[in-house]
Amino acid sequence: MSDPTTSPQEAAPLHGILAEYDNPTALVLASRKVRDAGFSRWDTYTPFPIHGIDKAMGIKMTILPWIVMCAALIGLGTAVWLQWWTNAVNYPWIISGKPFWSWPANVPIWFELTVLFSAFASLAGMLVLNNLPQPSHPLDLKERFARASDDRFFLLIQASDPKFDEADIRQLLAETTPVFIEDVAEDRVTSDKIPRALIYVGVLAAFASLVPFAFFAKARNATTETGRFQLVWDMDFSPAYKPQETNPLFEDKRATRQTPAGTVAQGELRADDHLYLGKTKAGTFVSAMPKGLTVDADMMALGKAQFGIYCAPCHGLLGDGNGMVHKRAETLGGGWVPPSNLHQEYIRQMPAGQLFDTITNGVRNMPSYAAQIEPEERWAIILYVRALQKSQGASVADLSEADRAQLK
Amino acid sequence: MASDEKKTKKSTGAEGSSVPKLPNGDSIRLGKEADGLRKAALGVGIVALAGAVLLGGGPYGKQFQHSYLTAYMWGLSIAVGAVWWVAVQHLFGARWSIVVRRVGELLAQLVVVMAVLALPLLIPIFMGNDVLYPWAEHHYFEHHAYIASKAPWFSPAFFAVRMAFYFGFWVLLAKYYLGQSRRQDTTSGDVALTKKLQSVSAPGMILFAVSVTFCAIDFLMTLDPVWFSTIFGVYYFATCVLTFNSTLALTLMWLQSRGHLKASVTAEHYHDIGKMMFAFTCFWTYIGFSQFMLIWYANIPEETHWFNDRFFGSWLNATYFLSVAHFFIPFFGMMSRWMKRNTGRLRFWALYILAICWFDMYWLVAPNLHKDGVALTAADFLAWIGIAGILVSSALTRARDVNLVATGDPRLSKSLAFENI
Repeated sequence: MSDPTTSPQEAAPLHGILAEYDNPTALVLASRKVRDAGFSRWDTYTPFPIHGIDKAMGIKMTILPWIVMCAALIGLGTAVWLQWWTNAVNYPWIISGKPFWSWPANVPIWFELTVLFSAFASLAGMLVLNNLPQPSHPLDLKERFARASDDRFFLLIQASDPKFDEADIRQLLAETTPVFIEDVAEDRVTSDKIPRALIYVGVLAAFASLVPFAFFAKARNATTETGRFQLVWDMDFSPAYKPQETNPLFEDKRATRQTPAGTVAQGELRADDHLYLGKTKAGTFVSAMPKGLTVDADMMALGKAQFGIYCAPCHGLLGDGNGMVHKRAETLGGGWVPPSNLHQEYIRQMPAGQLFDTITNGVRNMPSYAAQIEPEERWAIILYVRALQKSQGASVADLSEADRAQLK
Repeated sequence: MASDEKKTKKSTGAEGSSVPKLPNGDSIRLGKEADGLRKAALGVGIVALAGAVLLGGGPYGKQFQHSYLTAYMWGLSIAVGAVWWVAVQHLFGARWSIVVRRVGELLAQLVVVMAVLALPLLIPIFMGNDVLYPWAEHHYFEHHAYIASKAPWFSPAFFAVRMAFYFGFWVLLAKYYLGQSRRQDTTSGDVALTKKLQSVSAPGMILFAVSVTFCAIDFLMTLDPVWFSTIFGVYYFATCVLTFNSTLALTLMWLQSRGHLKASVTAEHYHDIGKMMFAFTCFWTYIGFSQFMLIWYANIPEETHWFNDRFFGSWLNATYFLSVAHFFIPFFGMMSRWMKRNTGRLRFWALYILAICWFDMYWLVAPNLHKDGVALTAADFLAWIGIAGILVSSALTRARDVNLVATGDPRLSKSLAFENI
């Protein structure tokens, strides 16, 4: 179709006019002129960054920082959301006794993702804002232009500029001090097709990226005689010692270490014998409530609730030893030792400390309740038991005047 | 002989009666014009310190000693930050900073007055008075057997050696930088001097890291002899860089308001100083949080008790306030270049950072005295004003007869023409 006597490049339309300078100052001065003439589609090319060229060219401040800021916030949000959702919502798992969502442990990831997203956005934003990558450019065909990466400074005004007028521009550029002015034609030589090699590499890379998934699929669906493939051995089989294991490092070979003599864990010092044992220093049972506890309606309510949960099943809601467990045991028959009736005289006379000791350590076939009931709750139960005992063995004399009057 | 004569003539020409100026016409000599301010600052400083002593229970009073330590560490951070800053400019062969480097060299001279101002803290220690440091009492480690292995570190002789090393090293380095830089002014820009200063700065930087780390440990961390944090020195170093760069910016603004360096120091230089302030705001947070997170995660009582002191009652509010006011506000406030390139806006941030860094020092020191909650007292502020007043006066005295620009630096013109991209 094209004329056989001229190559496609010779017939190519004008891309722009190029001026060449041999020093940066000349380029800066020329840039100011071109800027003041009101051109918009033009650029300069230099072997190194020249301070002040942005101003000379009238380039506005880049919007890249705002793009990076948005990316940073997205990165931060992603990190916060992902860690919160995985740790606190989807797979809650207590680690070192800390809350499900222990945010301080997540801060390094917040920081990393903020920086990562910012870095990607900086690179991608820079490329997009600079119209990069450009596989080819008309200037690549100019032999002289190779010196743009060595010792020459270039200015190109594109023909697509709305103010483009060939004669005017030639005159304008001639007024600056160029070494050379020449026309730059559009590129009609370089193919606009993607190179074959690049396509092959792309296809190969796409397939290669599927290889790990193929292994996953095989591992999930095939049977094997060698056992599971452990990618990260330590994750599946923690090298940490488990309770009751032997550890050759220590003389006594115990992996579970005893607390050093004379020490106690934080918050576990139980020096108050009255509160924690129900005994005096001499070892006799106390009959008063511990000093630290206030005997009030709240304590009574706590005692009633705890009694209902732990005691009533055997001892009965009234404390008369006729609870549901007892009734069921009676119907089943066999050697059942009945739970004590708490209203028996010897239990009425029992010091509070001994009741405490019974709940703590158990008696006969009643087991220890120390693991289920906190010491303060045990005292509350004792308070409630005392109230029960009073209610079942009260006489008219115990009532107030008004109540007695009402009774009549 | 003849060349010698010429040299003397030339040097007297530069340093003598005629007011030195830069080729761009800028005045670079303070002279007597700031004498009034110098005296006023000294007066205010001494009166404020006296007030702090009176209100703080005397020179050995608990309140005074804690208030004074807070203010002292704040002031020391400016001086020590200056020494570091000058060293780092030489080490990297920085060109942007040459026009402002002399001001940094002069501010570094404050380590001399800070060495003297350390005496009110050191004397009680050597007297065995545990008003500030519990370990200063001679029998402390006998009663605290579980940390007895630390006792050699606290022996008075070793302590004295360390103090001599910190202040001796800083004073030597600061005087060396200023002296050599002034020598370059009179030797018509000897390039060999620039190279020598660079090669001295490398070992100097290593020794500096050691000195500032252990100084912070000795003055601040040992308030609680049980506690330890290996990152603590870096935490204090972050404060040094922040307070120094803020002071540098404010000093340059003041000099320009008095008609000096008017054309030489431009928005480009302020921009770079502002960048340092911004960067080290992030750095401080990074270090402070790293310190917190590792201790929080490991959850070992001998480490956590230090944060425990700061995480309950009104100290918890102070801790929240510190993280918001020392990080979030300046981070978002100073991020834009628009903030750093305008003198008025940068002045606000410089004052802000100086204030918040003081509060950081308060947060480090005061919980050791006021366990029950934040208690800002008049002595705290008076000691702060006192130290600041003495520093201003001392800096003005030192700068009076010295060129405010290193005119002999062979790369000065590059710094004058410096532009950020």
